[in-house]
Amino acid sequence: MKRLLIISIFVLTASALWSQSDHSKIKLDCSFCHSCEKPTKINPCLKACPREEMITVYHTPSQGPEYLIINQFEKFEDLYEPVNFSHRAHSEMAEMSGGCELCHHYNPPGSIAKCVDCHDVNRLRADLSKPDLKGAYHRQCIDCHRTWNNNVACADCHELKSSGKTAAKIKPLSASRIHPEIIEPAKIVYETETSEGKFVTFYHNEHTQLFGLECSNCHKNESCASCHKVDDMKSIKLTVEEKHQACINCHKVENNCSYCHSNKTLEPFDHGTRTGFQLKSYHQKLSCVNCHAKPKAFSGLNSKCASCHGSWSVDNFNHKATGLILDEIHAEFDCDVCHSLDNYSKPGCDACHEDMTYPKFKPGRILRN
Amino acid sequence: MNKQNRRDFLKSVTTVGITAAGLSAAAPTKLNAAPENVLSEDRMGVLVDTTVCIGCRKCEWACKESHGMHAGDIEDYDEKGIFNSRRRPDHTGHTVVNEYENDKNRSLPIYLKVQCMHCDRPACVSACIVGAFSKKESGAVIWDDSKCIGCRYCMVACPFQIPAFDYHKALEPDIHKCDFCFDRTKNGKLPACVEICPVETLTYGKRSDLIQVARNKIKNYPDRYLDHIFGETEVGGTSWLYLASKEFEKLDFPKLGKNPAPGVSESIQHGIFAYFIPPIALYALLGGIMWISKNRDKSEGEAH
Ligand code: SF4
Ligand code: SF4
Ligand code: SF4
Repeated sequence: MKRLLIISIFVLTASALWSQSDHSKIKLDCSFCHSCEKPTKINPCLKACPREEMITVYHTPSQGPEYLIINQFEKFEDLYEPVNFSHRAHSEMAEMSGGCELCHHYNPPGSIAKCVDCHDVNRLRADLSKPDLKGAYHRQCIDCHRTWNNNVACADCHELKSSGKTAAKIKPLSASRIHPEIIEPAKIVYETETSEGKFVTFYHNEHTQLFGLECSNCHKNESCASCHKVDDMKSIKLTVEEKHQACINCHKVENNCSYCHSNKTLEPFDHGTRTGFQLKSYHQKLSCVNCHAKPKAFSGLNSKCASCHGSWSVDNFNHKATGLILDEIHAEFDCDVCHSLDNYSKPGCDACHEDMTYPKFKPGRILRN
Repeated sequence: MNKQNRRDFLKSVTTVGITAAGLSAAAPTKLNAAPENVLSEDRMGVLVDTTVCIGCRKCEWACKESHGMHAGDIEDYDEKGIFNSRRRPDHTGHTVVNEYENDKNRSLPIYLKVQCMHCDRPACVSACIVGAFSKKESGAVIWDDSKCIGCRYCMVACPFQIPAFDYHKALEPDIHKCDFCFDRTKNGKLPACVEICPVETLTYGKRSDLIQVARNKIKNYPDRYLDHIFGETEVGGTSWLYLASKEFEKLDFPKLGKNPAPGVSESIQHGIFAYFIPPIALYALLGGIMWISKNRDKSEGEAH
């Protein structure tokens, strides 16, 4: 009995060490991948893919392979020739929508996992929880190809062996990019079905340039058709939730309709009108994230200068940056002798000089107007 | 109430039939005669995930090809015009794929492969007078050409209207339906349609495993699937199971209860055959009942 106990303790410790060492690089909660409380090697109770959040290897399209030949089924009797897959062209397309994980939906830390690492080449198999390799490949490709052209013919990607044709020869790519550069729209006005607040004016350029969003923050799992066959896509009826899906990550939609919906098209974003805090000189040159440091959380700051600049003092602030070099006397004072901490822009002189006001009298030399 | 539903009709047929034949004492108590012992724990099935199917109809081609039927050119199956009308399996093909509108995304229509469901308690088996149909341990429901007398009871009995008859050869009775590729699976091969499917819409495995797989899919992707595995309980369970994103009735599945479909005239047949009444008398009897019933419907209709 004692021996049994020792052995079992040993086994438990070893397996615990094994799993820890293997998982040390994964910065995720266990329940992200496992459905039970105590996963074991025998029963890891893994949740179904995809687990995009695990992707740690990112390549630009040009860093990946140009072409791949998909010939995993050569040893089987197959009706079709292997596929010459233009990885680069497809990764450029993926870059414009869901990113690498559009296809590489599961990739634990380390190198890039091959489809065959998880998906069995044999359709007759014991573990049916995932599609087999042939199914997995086709499922990754087919939905985009279907929306692109509903008449998907097998020979579009691989020739029938009996046809005597082989796949197109691999040609090295000359252009640095295959897909022409996408011209970003500046402003899109959506006409909604509601009578009140019919228009939603969407400034695309503000979201990418000002608010610091990446394309894939909004454009997820989109097919080529969503740009190329815009009219077809318009016929697709989206639910109210689906229509707001791209916005709700940042915008509160409940009881906040008028923020976006209006009976006329709206002017571009203006910090002064939207927030009551007009951006001038220095602030104007900054991008949103310089002040709104937490990504996507743009609220929570107030207009008191000290709420951001509270650490400024006479010792660490070079007043010359404001365009006014303080004279020797004034350079000694703490900021709040002349400035209210709520608003640095208007200094007052009345702490010492009853009959003087700024800017008629200046506490130093002006560099520029 | 001037409408007699099918069930009532069948009930009355049974009662009238039995009484008419003077066999009321012999009325069989067990209606659903699928022998229990063929329902092996390990019986196989296929899970059809209709949310995955792309309507390539390669399964139709492979089915014909593997059963010595005229299959034609595989490339011709890419033709989408065929989806303009709804088709049913018939003597030219044991399985067909139909197209349905996808309300969630019109550019990705729903496709649905139809074939025999391989019921666990098959009405066709219990309906067949000569025992040409049988449920095998593998899960397959197959039939024996050499026994078939062409009475077509199986066609009437099947809740899915699967068995098809080759009317061009009325003298050589020939029933057609999916045989779950009995000869292929016997030799360790996959059913032909399962093997060819590019996207693995069709997952072949132990029925019990497939139910688990289906449950997990529903749990993990509640937006993608309706919470219903068609065939898990319908008519006492079927070997082929379906998952869908759209209500099954809208995909032309019949609305069925959990009880096995009655073998229609099975009680008559079993009773009659126990007393050696030949099929010709049975036909006359059924014809008579139908005539009476029709007249009754009519007169009831007129009365209103
Ligand atoms: S679906 Fe019809 S033909 Fe197939 S087993 Fe069931 S009752 Fe028989
Ligand atoms: S299981 Fe065999 S017979 Fe049935 S539809 Fe598939 S290929 Fe045809
Ligand atoms: S082969 Fe598969 S994907 Fe193609 S129509 Fe048949 S079931 Fe659907």
